[in-house]
Formats: sequence, structure tokens, C-alpha cells
Amino acid sequence: MQHLTEEQLIAHYYHDGDAAVTESHLDSCDECRAHFETLRNVLALIDQLPIPERSDAYGEAVWNRLRWKMGKTGDAFSNSSGTTVGLNTPTHVRRRSAYGWVTAIAAAVAIAFLGGVLWHARTQQIARPQTVMARSAQPGPVQQAAAESASRDRLLLVVVGDHLDNSERMLLELTNADPKHSLDVSSESKRAGELVATNRIYRQTAARRGETRIASLLSDLEPVLVELSHAGSTLSPDEIAALQKRIDSKGLLFKVRVVSAQVGGQEAPAKAPRKGMDSL
Amino acid sequence: MTTDVAVVSRARSGDADAFRQLVERHSKMTFRVAYRMTGNEQDADDVVQETFLRAYRQLEHFEERADFGTWLHRIAVNCSLDLLRARSRADRNYGGDLESAELAGMARSEPQQDRLLMSADLQKQVTAAMGRLSSNERTAFVLRHFEGMPVEEIGETLGIQVNAAKHTIFRAVRKLRESLEPFVRPTPCNT
Repeated sequence: MQHLTEEQLIAHYYHDGDAAVTESHLDSCDECRAHFETLRNVLALIDQLPIPERSDAYGEAVWNRLRWKMGKTGDAFSNSSGTTVGLNTPTHVRRRSAYGWVTAIAAAVAIAFLGGVLWHARTQQIARPQTVMARSAQPGPVQQAAAESASRDRLLLVVVGDHLDNSERMLLELTNADPKHSLDVSSESKRAGELVATNRIYRQTAARRGETRIASLLSDLEPVLVELSHAGSTLSPDEIAALQKRIDSKGLLFKVRVVSAQVGGQEAPAKAPRKGMDSL
Repeated sequence: MTTDVAVVSRARSGDADAFRQLVERHSKMTFRVAYRMTGNEQDADDVVQETFLRAYRQLEHFEERADFGTWLHRIAVNCSLDLLRARSRADRNYGGDLESAELAGMARSEPQQDRLLMSADLQKQVTAAMGRLSSNERTAFVLRHFEGMPVEEIGETLGIQVNAAKHTIFRAVRKLRESLEPFVRPTPCNT
């Protein structure tokens, strides 16, 4: 008996093949039926992969971020009262534009700084085999490499520590806000915009250097900063509640405090490269 | 509730409130598609933003007789595909960090009631198996399996022939079967 191919079984699963022929074969062939059952079970397993829930306020949050982006494109919309939304909305767009410049400059400085750190790390990595070979003969360069690595670690920890302190203050203001009333966040929104750019760079750097704990925290922090930076000058009660829920559900403030404290504690000169940093 | 047709018509004439309504109505659906395609919450959120931005820019090309949700769905799929392809290029350039980042993203997600059906470890295995598919394979599989899209349309979406689309789906399913077979218990045969 000629068995069904896997392609025929897959086609049958999706009702694409010749159903009558395939079913007739499956009725009489234990082996093919077992293969088909396995296929079905595997696909049923994939069906169970959950999709994260989005709250009813999600659409509004998307709109709030989008409105800003639409403004950036230079397009303009008018709302039902006839007011133009977009680039022609004078005050908030001018302010956004100014934020953009500040963010861009902050990001450029951070990129230049971290680019140097990464470049240095890369050259160190390339040079490493020779360093290892020469280790027994020349202990000096090894110690020097360890010292340089520790120095880079301290630089990363210092900048991340400052970043986390700033973020913590912002999260604290948000979690303490009364969700029954709107909140003026014009200055927080500006600060969040600046923090987003640096957060991304620190997250990528931390991930590359094996600092998964810091990278994971910064990854959790980023959506909150992005949302706040796009919030405009005022947060509605719903937006405040959504942000507070997000901060709370991830235990974000707590994690920021813990990592911030740990990072602060690690700023003292290390005697040897820490785990995850020794590959640099 | 006003129909999409009426709201789209107002949006096309430049009414921001109308476009806001469309965003609020279709955001969750768009997120679900994007999440299936990307397997990552943050990426899915980005895709949702990009989808509506593209929809807004292309609104004048939308035929009012068509279904807005279907049109938006197609844009979301294209945005996700763009992201997957860019991701796959970056992955080739920078090593395998992205897949592990994806896994970390899944692991970070807060557990919810429906997730408890599947153990965290199994979720990771399934996510990893999906992560091993190429961008085309993942797209073809998601569109066929979850969205029930006909093979012809999948071919159009991917810009490939129908046969090639069919084989892409086969490859994807085969890879998933190979990765996940150890985790499924065979159902005893009735005979």
C-alpha cells in the first residue's frame, strides 16, 4: 500500500486536498492515521498559544500615539468641531518639534558614547585570542584588559543608574496620580521623550553585554516611556489608569528600584570582570 | 453604531474623529493579527501603529465598497511581513539574539487566565518553534492556519506563485511538526 505523503496530510488538514481519497486511505491505514493525528495534535498545540489581552482603552491609546505621528507626517485632519489636528495644531506641535530636537541631540550624544564603548569592546573581542595565547608569557595585558573591561562596566552602570533614577521619579509621579482627574504631563512627556531614546540604546548595549536583567527591565520600561512621550500635554483619567495598570502589572516601579539599588551597589570598582562581561 | 462605510466616508473627507473611531474599533483585531505574525507584544504594538498610519495615508485609495476591516487586515499583514523580513535581515547580520529576545518577550508577558492552559515551558517551545520559521514561512503559516486565507491570496501577499505558497506552508508545518512532535502525546488509534 502506498502511504500518504506529509504534504497530502497537511493539505487534508486544511481541506485543500482530495478529501474522499485521503479519508478512504486514512480509514484503512493505521500508520497514516497515526501521522495525521500527530499533525493534528501539533497544530492544536499551536492553537493554544495565547494572545496577550489588550484592554478596552487600547484603541484610545493607539489613537493618542497615532495622532502625534500623523501630525509629524505633515498631514492635517480636522475634527468634528472643525479644529485642525496635526501639524497645524500650533502649540503642541511646536513643543513636539522642540522635544524632537532635544531627543535627537540626547540620542546622538548617547549613541556616540556607547558607540565608542561598543567599538572598544569589539576590538577587544577580536584581540582576545592573541591575548589568551600570550597570557602565560605576559600577565600585564591581561590585567590591563580586565581593568578596561571593569571600567567599561562602571561606565554602563553609571549611565544606566542615572537613567533608572530619572525613570523612577517619573513612574512615581504616575503611580501617585489620581486616576479620577486629568493630569498635566507636559513636562513629563518631554522628559519621557528624552528617556525613550536613551532607554533604547542602553537596552541594546546591556543585551549585547550579557546584562540580561538590565536589558529585560529596560525592555519593560520602554513601552511606558513611549506611551507617556506621545501623550501630549494632558493625560485623561483612562490613560492614567491604563498606565498605572501597566506599571503595576509588571511590578515596574519595584523592579526599577531594585535594579537601580543593585546597579548603584556595583559602581564600586570591580576586581574582576563580572559574569556576562568577560566576553568583551 | 454607525457602519464602517459611513465612518470611512467621513474620515476620507478629513474628519479626525471619524478616523479615531476606526482606530478604536479595529485596534484589538489588528493587534491580534500582528501578534500572531510577530510573536512579540512590543512588535505587535508597533505594527498596529504602522498599520493605521499606512491606512491613513492610503485612505484615498480605499474602495468604499470593500470591507474596511479586511483592507486593514491586509495592511497589518504587510506591515508585519515587512518587520519580519527586516528582523530576519538583522538576525543574519547580528547573530541569533533576536530569537532569544523574542523568547524573553514571551516569558515577560504577564500570565493571564487563558494562558494557564499551557505551561510556560510549552509556550516557550511553541514560540521557539514558530521563531525558527523564516519570515515567509511564518507569514504563510499564520495566514493559512489562523486567518484561513486561501493559498492563492497567500501567494499574492508574499509575491510568489500559488505552488510556491503551498510549499511554503508545507515547509512551515513540517518544521513545526518536527520541533513539537515530542511534546504531543499520540492519540490512540480506534482500530
